[in-house]
Amino acid sequence: MHRSLLIVGAIATAAAGAIAQTPSPREQLARGQALWEQRLAKSAIAALEIAARDNVIAAEAHEALGRLYTYKGWLQDNVMPGWHDEPSVRAKAIAELKASIAADPTRASAQEALRTAEGYAAADAVDPAPPRPEIRALDQRLQSFQTKTDAAIAEILAALEARAKAQADPAPYFVAAQILIDRGEYDRAIAIAAQGAAASDKFIDENLSAYMLPGKSQGSYARGRGQAADLTGWALFLKKDYAGATAKLEEAERLSQGADFANQFHLGELARTQNDTAQAREHYLNALSLAGGPAPLRQRATQALDAMQIAPVAAGGFEAWLESQLARRREERKTAVLKSLIDRPLPKLALTTVDGRPYDTSSLRGKVLLLNFFASW
Amino acid sequence: MPHLKASYAKYQNDPNVAFLLVSIDEDMKRLQRYINEMKFPFPVARLTTADAEKVMGIDNTPTTFYVGTDGIVRYMVVGGESHGDSPARVSWYVDQLKAGK
Repeated sequence: MHRSLLIVGAIATAAAGAIAQTPSPREQLARGQALWEQRLAKSAIAALEIAARDNVIAAEAHEALGRLYTYKGWLQDNVMPGWHDEPSVRAKAIAELKASIAADPTRASAQEALRTAEGYAAADAVDPAPPRPEIRALDQRLQSFQTKTDAAIAEILAALEARAKAQADPAPYFVAAQILIDRGEYDRAIAIAAQGAAASDKFIDENLSAYMLPGKSQGSYARGRGQAADLTGWALFLKKDYAGATAKLEEAERLSQGADFANQFHLGELARTQNDTAQAREHYLNALSLAGGPAPLRQRATQALDAMQIAPVAAGGFEAWLESQLARRREERKTAVLKSLIDRPLPKLALTTVDGRPYDTSSLRGKVLLLNFFASW
Repeated sequence: MPHLKASYAKYQNDPNVAFLLVSIDEDMKRLQRYINEMKFPFPVARLTTADAEKVMGIDNTPTTFYVGTDGIVRYMVVGGESHGDSPARVSWYVDQLKAGK
């Protein structure tokens, strides 16, 4: 008897708890707006759609959705690496703004947003959204610690937290991890690189439709994870955990397909420390054959190669030897091509002209054909 | 894309070589503007993104295929060019196929 009363009491408490935890429509609206401020599109849309079902705040919620879709449809091209405008949501943008005005015909902000969206729809060209000044200021604050080498670690972490809260992309974690490595704070750097990898995955998941093609989102996932693995591996190297460093730097190499300057340079340093001169030489040469990489690091890689004096350098000296090595690597990369359609007949394609008529391919028959698939975004 | 224009200069009078661009754009206005800007000396056709993914296995742009005179696909290059020697790369593929390799 007592026991069943207790159970009933427990259920009642749990139910009350559940009710209290279900956010009200107004809370959903605020949550959706905050999520969109952070550019977490999928969750923002979900929250705003719930809010839009409530009559009292429908106008506000539809307007927020309309503004979000306006951004996705016309303004997000290259706002983040890999993002493109989504023409498929343009009609939604206008429909949401009209729904907002239908719910509250006096809503001036929605009318203005609708005029803007209709202007975009009629325009020949719409410029992408400019960088947000408040995010830029927080980026600059975080980056200022690259040179402020006497700042307290807590200050760096606070700058990271402020930036990460304002926009949910992973970039600040990687900037902070590098600063902490430079300050000798290896364990903190490793923890923050891991947070960066998680933030990168989440940010791409939340904005998947902005990437337009699976190869572009996969490339972005790999870049985030690769950057985290490289920073972690480099921190482990500096901690003299060479086994751990090897695992992480090689993981980063797989993710970047051997085409990241910093990672190849780090692998070179690791191999040199372990007296594996042949490996070290390969990585330094790979690094130098890639575009990018800061000048001081390129110089260090060149000097390391010169100092190793491994192969008997032929006539022409080190410079000529280096140039021929780099040329060979570029050539190898040129011939490394994917295999899927290779050695199979070109499939029949339902090509049209730009204005929509069937495209006649008969003039292409029997010729060497270069077929380039592109998008203007 | 400018590297394709540069590469094409070598083949524009060659009856055995053709260049064809295929756009997978959804925004026709934007595509038209791009074509007007770029003034390509070779034709531009369109394919839907869905077809490009399904039939050609394209999951990124740009993707370039090099097809021999027998209609067999010989090379597929995905992504942009990172080494600044792009026109030379394009001619290398085309010349391989012209030589029947």
